[in-house]
Amino acid sequence: MVGAAVSGLLILAIVLGSRLLRNFDSALLPYAVAGVFLAFGVAYRYTVWISAPGAARLFKQGWRSLFSAENFRQAPTALPKMIATYLGFQKFLGARSHARWAAHQLIFWGCVLAALITFPLTWGWFTFTSGSGSGPGYEMRIWGFKILGFDSLSFIGWVMFHGLDLAAVLVIPGASYFLWRRMKDRGASTGQRFGYDLIPLIALIVISVTGLLLTFSSIFLHGGGYEFLAVLHMVAVVFTLIYIPFGKFFHIVQRPAAVGMQLFKYTARQDDEVFACRRCGQPIDTEPYVENLRGTMRDLRLDFDEWAEYCPRCKRVLRGSAYLTHVKKGFK
Amino acid sequence: MMGRTIFIDPGRCIGCQACVSACRECDSHRGKSMIHLDYTDEGQSVASLPTVCMHCEDPVAPCAEVCPADAILVTADGVVQQADTTRCIGCANCVNACPFGVPKIDLGAKLQMKCNLCYDRTAYGLAPMCATVCPTGALFYGTVEELQAERPGVQVADTFVFGSTEVRTGVAMVVPADKVQWPVPGGLPVVEINGKDVRR
Ligand code: SF4
Ligand code: SF4
Repeated sequence: MVGAAVSGLLILAIVLGSRLLRNFDSALLPYAVAGVFLAFGVAYRYTVWISAPGAARLFKQGWRSLFSAENFRQAPTALPKMIATYLGFQKFLGARSHARWAAHQLIFWGCVLAALITFPLTWGWFTFTSGSGSGPGYEMRIWGFKILGFDSLSFIGWVMFHGLDLAAVLVIPGASYFLWRRMKDRGASTGQRFGYDLIPLIALIVISVTGLLLTFSSIFLHGGGYEFLAVLHMVAVVFTLIYIPFGKFFHIVQRPAAVGMQLFKYTARQDDEVFACRRCGQPIDTEPYVENLRGTMRDLRLDFDEWAEYCPRCKRVLRGSAYLTHVKKGFK
Repeated sequence: MMGRTIFIDPGRCIGCQACVSACRECDSHRGKSMIHLDYTDEGQSVASLPTVCMHCEDPVAPCAEVCPADAILVTADGVVQQADTTRCIGCANCVNACPFGVPKIDLGAKLQMKCNLCYDRTAYGLAPMCATVCPTGALFYGTVEELQAERPGVQVADTFVFGSTEVRTGVAMVVPADKVQWPVPGGLPVVEINGKDVRR
């Protein structure tokens, strides 16, 4: 339902954005169709995901804290800051390892760049027209409106036409690093699944390499092998787009949930609502968060939710004590 | 019935920390130990209790159930894996929902970590690091039959009671033979020990 609605909206946007398909490039049709599938899949998976108890409660709380008066009053900068450090620069990955952070940044910005170019282009939202017939003066239009004019022989022009190549150059080393790591790092390869962990990396590399080869072919081989490469590239891209909602790439869609979660905790911390362990007094988490978790546990019929009011260490010690008392009689 | 798994016998544990060190050496969490060794009755006795993930079966892995990001997966052979690094958002739901107090969290890295039964070893038929080095057999890896062949007269319990809930686990605890029908108390409601209130 939701999936169908979202893809319907996207099709509408494509039609309108390309000025009733006048700017639509039919050669890019498969890409556009894959885009619609992608929208459907993401919307569908998103709905399924967000209806599970744990996610549902967090989702609500995240939005509630965002729109709460406290948030606007006390922490108007918190959200933009979290979005930048967390989603943009992925600071937390640096805490895992610097190399992983660097590699992930390469992939991330490469993909962002590629997505910014590809989607609007295949949906016919972007057009490049030349005022004088064959250049070098070009105009870039979005939804038919002129945004900027540039000279295709200038630096900007070069960047404009090689944006996807730049993206590929960013993605290849990043993805290669992760592939290499998956091959040799025992920690990473534990429980690793081919379809889940390796295919996405291989797909990224195939897309980037074939994309670069397309440019190579048109510049140095006068288009030799171009058609074959173009098909290969397209198949890889279409496959990857359709795969996004169902595999590892879904984390791209899920990540923002973390911002909601943090905002929720952050808002409570501003008000000093910290919950202390009932036995030892160590802080466990923020009070609303513990309450939220208890709700989730009750939703799931895990009716030992009062246990969430004890810190992990106290749970272990109490269990140990219970064992001593009732099972082993205190080593007497 | 249980296949090869870990059997914990706190009565044999001498608190030597060998399992903790061995866990730290394991490839899947290099440098960090996932074993908790607690001295449960400090100052009164030398009792110590090693805790590994119990790999809950029913209700199936509470940690995974409360996870908002579907980050914790359970393998077909019942091993509850630690969080998938791409999915975990570091919310600590799993940490606070686990009735055994197992998962750890690295807040900086936004990542949960927990014992995954040395999946890199057990998937290939090797014993987990902790059980390999334990000098007293407090951590034993094998089948129930193997355990009983070595220790005649012992029984194991794989069910724990927390309040009104029973949790059945993939990892079991050794209990005296006459107590086997009795699910092991999980510590909730909070108990007294040797007649002394341990809440404080
Ligand atoms: S013992 Fe804790 S960490 Fe292990 S499966 Fe159960 S809930 Fe999850
Ligand atoms: S800390 Fe990670 S694994 Fe644990 S519940 Fe949160 S997202 Fe799931």
